[in-house]
Formats: sequence, structure tokens, C-alpha cells
Amino acid sequence: MKVDKTLIASVALHVLVIGWGLVSFSARSLEAPPPESMPVDIISADQLSKITAGIKTGEKDKPKPLVEKIADANPADDNVGKITEKKEIVTATAPEPPPKPVEKPVEKKPDPPKPVAENKPKDEPKPIEKKPDPPKVDPIAEALKSEDAKKPVPKPEAKAAPPQPPKPKQERVFDQSKIAALLDKRDPTRQAFTGSALNSSASLGSTHGTAATLSQSELDAMRARLASLWNVQPGVEHPEELYVTVRIRLNPDRRLAAPPVVVSTGSSPRYQAAADAAVRAVLQGQPYTMLRDETYDQWKYMDIDFDPKQMFHS
Amino acid sequence: MFLEMSQQMPITSFCLPPLPLNRRNILIGGAGAAAGLLLPSLAGAQTKLQITEGNVAPLPIAIPNFVAGSPADGEVGVGVAQVITNNLQRSGLFAPIDQAAFIEKIVNIDTPPQFQSWKTINAQALVTGRMTRQGDGRLKAEFRLWDVAAGQQLTGQQYFTSPEYWRRIAHIISDQIYERLTGEKGYFDSRVVFVDESGAKERRVKRLALMDQDGANVRYLTKGADLVLTPRFSPSTQEITYMEFGQGDPRVYLYRIETGEREIVGNFPGMSFSPRFSPDGQSVIMSLQQGGNSNLFVMDLRSKSTTRLTDTPAIDTSPSYSPDGARICFESDRGGKPQIYVMPATGGAAQRISFSKDDSNAIYSTPVWSPRGDYIAFTKQGGGQFSIGIMKPDGSGERILTSGYHNEGPTFAPNGRVLMFFRDPGGNGGPSLFTVDISGRNELRVPTPGFASDPAWSPLLS
Repeated sequence: MKVDKTLIASVALHVLVIGWGLVSFSARSLEAPPPESMPVDIISADQLSKITAGIKTGEKDKPKPLVEKIADANPADDNVGKITEKKEIVTATAPEPPPKPVEKPVEKKPDPPKPVAENKPKDEPKPIEKKPDPPKVDPIAEALKSEDAKKPVPKPEAKAAPPQPPKPKQERVFDQSKIAALLDKRDPTRQAFTGSALNSSASLGSTHGTAATLSQSELDAMRARLASLWNVQPGVEHPEELYVTVRIRLNPDRRLAAPPVVVSTGSSPRYQAAADAAVRAVLQGQPYTMLRDETYDQWKYMDIDFDPKQMFHS
Repeated sequence: MFLEMSQQMPITSFCLPPLPLNRRNILIGGAGAAAGLLLPSLAGAQTKLQITEGNVAPLPIAIPNFVAGSPADGEVGVGVAQVITNNLQRSGLFAPIDQAAFIEKIVNIDTPPQFQSWKTINAQALVTGRMTRQGDGRLKAEFRLWDVAAGQQLTGQQYFTSPEYWRRIAHIISDQIYERLTGEKGYFDSRVVFVDESGAKERRVKRLALMDQDGANVRYLTKGADLVLTPRFSPSTQEITYMEFGQGDPRVYLYRIETGEREIVGNFPGMSFSPRFSPDGQSVIMSLQQGGNSNLFVMDLRSKSTTRLTDTPAIDTSPSYSPDGARICFESDRGGKPQIYVMPATGGAAQRISFSKDDSNAIYSTPVWSPRGDYIAFTKQGGGQFSIGIMKPDGSGERILTSGYHNEGPTFAPNGRVLMFFRDPGGNGGPSLFTVDISGRNELRVPTPGFASDPAWSPLLS
């Protein structure tokens, strides 16, 4: 009798544990899928504005990583500095050149470093103070002595380098005199901007609290592609009988992982012809380049309905 | 001459099995069970996409010249491809691609074509074929229809026949292609009987003529001494019934294509006209004049027994059976103006089905029931115009396909998708034949040697 009680108790406990496990695990699996698929409609309102909005938020969210990466992009900043200098020089030289050409270069040499100093302090006032330091080799000694170099160390190095090159470059500019074209100066600035854009795009994935969703624009683009390839027989009678659903599985390279499968049913020759036409459109549409990597989970499997009914209202 | 052109053409046909392909055949249609195995149950997580707008356009198809099995077969290989191209083009459902655009030259139909080179020119379907003269004098025709995107054979067939029937082989292949790609029965292997008109307008000579549906092989069945009207094919395509004005009253005649024999159908006291075969070919329904009016009678061709179907003081004419033979549509002015009525094939109460919404004075005439049973075609006269249209057998869904001066006498293609009719522009010109899709699209003139009217489309010959 006692043995039976322990058995009953153990059985009851096992049942409870297993039952709890079943309920909790099944509940988790049910919760997971729905949030990913639906919030598409919000995005559909304005495609372009939201694409640009996404970049802006990306930059705002991550100012620090941008600074770190700019160390490489600093030479581009130098170009910017040159342009502002050159512009000022041109406007200043235009009226004044005839009177005293010799004096101007002398005056300009002290001037250019000032605007550079003025521009940079706006972004980061501290590095300017450090600029005089590097020649003294103090920062290196401090870095060696300090426990961890961390951020301050790379920054002074990067900024120590730029101030030196600008001076010789300025001399070259003076050698070329006024012939230097403004166009040449604008191009490098654009390249510098594109460098910053890469950082913002990389930040898109991480800033999101929710998973990337298949946007309405992606779906619209895919729909448009299939619509352009779906060859519908002119003058079809009873088009409502020719509703075809094609199931596809896509690889990450946006090509079909397997032949498309018609999952709707119909046995008439007309239906067979309609199904063939739908499959042809799906086959011809690949690769579906409009789909983004981030949303692969949502376009890995797709059911595509081909409904000719609305095309033959009359 | 035309006797040997009868339907007794010996054709034997065999299926060409699909070629072994590098790529796996695609599962479609009834492969639902296999589909379940391939793609395990996908919960609601899967994205659905709905396509409701497509490219409503003819299907681009490539039809290279058929390969010559022997050096002597080059000409027929080119001819077959041309006939198929012309058929599919005229159907309005296909857009044959200019051969000058072809990249691959088909030299052997027993190996799969290079699908990529056909994709490049946007062909969705490809037809390859070969014509080979056999040792016994017969001609062997083979063809394969390919789905370019899927890279698979859709159908393939080979035929043996006498060399002079190469045109019919081309029509039969056209029907196979049409049927596989549209799901509808074809209509290319068929003929049209019509009234050929020649000479000055006041002395017009009218002869009964027969031709292939594409206008080829025109043959004249009568010499033109007597006026002929309203020829109609029998279901067997072996006989034609028509009305002829001889010395006396107009009579309904029966003409046997194979023998050239003709005979009067019945020997009635007054005028008999507007004949048409029953769907089983065993009897002819027609109008018999009785005084100032006419009624419908049906005559059994074997027993010669005649049955009266209507008995009204009005003109009942232009009867046409439904394909199941259970009902008859006809034209009657019993309500004042000519309208279309439907009644049981055994006679009885007739129900008017033609009611014009836009013109209460419109006249409806020459009704003809579609071989598919879904529509009745008619000539509508109103507002100074003659229109060709269709309506459902209950009178609903009227659709005008073409209008103008002067259109008349619709006849259905064997698949019920295309109508042929004749149009007379008036003036010094004469009538000619036209086809139009039952959706009102793709109106085309049918080439005839001279003026032509009163066409009647035969059923499929095979």
C-alpha cells in the first residue's frame, strides 16, 4: 500500500511536470510567429520619406561608432577644410589681386589654420587643445603610462596627423594659383559623405527593437514584377474558375529553391493552362532582387495567388 | 476533284514520349499530394501575395521551320511551320516570334533545345518538328511543344499520312498546341462552306464554295447557274444542306461532298428554306412557306417523315438546335417584329429571349446556337446598323461584338470561341467574310478569292 502511494505521487508529479512543459512550450511556439508578419501596413504610407527617416534615426542613435570610424575618414575632413579655405581665398582674391599679390600669400598662411581650428572645435573642442601637444610627444608618453589607451589615444593620433599635411597642401594650392577648379574640390567632399552613409545603413539592423518586416514596397515590387510576367489569355470566359495558387520556396540568393508547386486544385484543361501560365511567371521572375536580406524569414516561403477575375469585369 | 479531298484521309497518330531532360520535371496540377511532402505544413507564418492584374496579351511562341528528315522534305517543313504560325497568329491568342530573331537553329528534335536561347527572345513556348518521307511513300510528321520557362515538354505527337495532306497535318498540330496552351478545344482542322459571289452587282453569280478555315484549298461545289443561299454543314462534315432557287420555288437541297451528289430534301408544295441539320445528323429542320406565313418542320432523312413544330400565322424561320438536341432557337415575327424565341425540340410553347435594352425597335434574326451551348449568336438590326452579337440561351448577357453596315449571318467555330460572319460595305463592292472573338476582339478578314457571304463553319474534321 505504501509503495502504491509513492508511485501515485511520483506519477502525479511527472504528469504535472510534463503537462506544464507541454503547455508552456506550445504557448511559446504560438507566440513567436504572429508579431513578425503583420505590421506591414504602417510602412506603406510613404515609402521614400520613411527610407530617409530610417537613415536619420540611424545616425542619431549611434554617434559614437561614427566617431570611431571617422578616424579613417579624417583625410576627407581635410579636403573639406581646404574647400572652405579656398572659397574664402577666391572671394577675397577676386577684388584684391591687382594691388599687392606678394602680401596676400603671407597673410593667407596664418589665416587657413584658423578656420580649420574654428571648424573642428565645433565638433570636438578638446582635440584642438591636444594639437599643440603631439609635437611635444607628451600624449605618447601619457598613453604608455596610462592604464588603458581607450578612446583618447586614437583620437589625438588621428588628429595629430591631419594638421601637419594641410600646411604643405596649402602651399601646393598656392602654387597652382587661381587655376584650380571648384569642381575638383566638390567631388572629394561627396565621397566623404558616402563614407558616412555606409555607417548609417549598417546601424539599421541593430537599432530596431523589432525584427525587420517585409515592407509594402517590397511586396508591391514583387507583385509588379509578377504582374508584368503573368501572361493572361485575352477574352477568357469564366475567369473565376482559373484562380491559381502557387507555393514557392526561395533561397537567400532570391532564386527558387525548388520548382514552384500549384497548391490550388482544378483538373480541367483550362485550369491546367492557367496553372502553367502562373508557374511560368514565377519561374521567369527570379531572381527577386527587390527582397531584402533582413526579411528573408518572411519571403522564404510564399503563397502567390493568381486571380484573373478582376481583369474581365465586363 | 474535291472528292479525293474528303475526310477519309488516313492519319495514324502516336504520342511522342517526353525526352529525358537534365532538369527535373515540374510538379503541377494534380501533384498536390507530392506537394505536401515537399513543403511540410507551413503555419500561418508564410507570406501570401495576390496578383490580380496580369499581362493580357497573346502568348509569345516560337515556331521554327520543321526539320527536314530527308533533303526532299525541306519545303514541306517550311510550309507546315508557316501554316501553324498563321493559324496561331490569327487566333489572337498567340504572338508567333519572327524567325529572324531566333538564336538557336533546331537541327534535331530528339534532343532538348537550348532553353536559354529561347528565353532570350522572350519565347514562352517553342514548337519543334520534323517531316520525313517514308520508304512506303507516306509522310511522317513529328512535333514537340516545349514550355521554355520550365524547360519541359508539354506535348508531343507523330502522324503518318499521305504527303498531299501536309496542310491538314499542320492544322491538327495547330489544334494540339492551341488546346494544350489555352485549355480550349482547337478549331483549325475545320472547313467553311460559303457562297462565292462574282460578276457585276446586277448579274451576280453565286456559287457554293468550300475551303479550309484559313482560306486555303477553295473548291466550288456548284456552277453558279442557280442562286444558292444558307449552306449548312452536317455534324459528320460529309454533307451540306442549302437552299437553291431553281426554275420553280426555292428548295432545300442536300449535297454529299464525297460523291458530289445532290438531292431535294422533301417535296413540299411551297417554298422551303433556311435548313439546318440536327445535332445527330439524322434530320433536317427548315421553314416551309404556307401562304403568307411560314412554319418550322423537321424531316427525318431516312424515313422522310415530316413533323410540324410550329403553327402560327407568322413567319417562323432560321431554326438552330442546341448542341444536346433538346431545344431549338428560331426567329419569328409573331410578336410584331422579328425576335428570337426558344422552344423544346419537339415543339410547344416558345419563349422570347431577345429584348434590346437600348432600342425597343431592334430586330433580332439569324440565331445560331454555339457548339458549346453557352451562347446564341444573332444579327441585330437597329438604329440604322447591323450588329453581330451573342447572348445566353435565357436571353441574358447580350454582348455586341461588331456593328456597322452591313453585318449578318454569324456561325460558330467548332470550339464556340470564334464567330465568322459576312459584311457588305454597300456601294459597288461586295460582301466578304470576317471572324471575331466572342469577346469582341481580334476582328479579321478571311481571305477569299472573290466576294463571299453566308459562311457556315464545319465541326472539327477529326
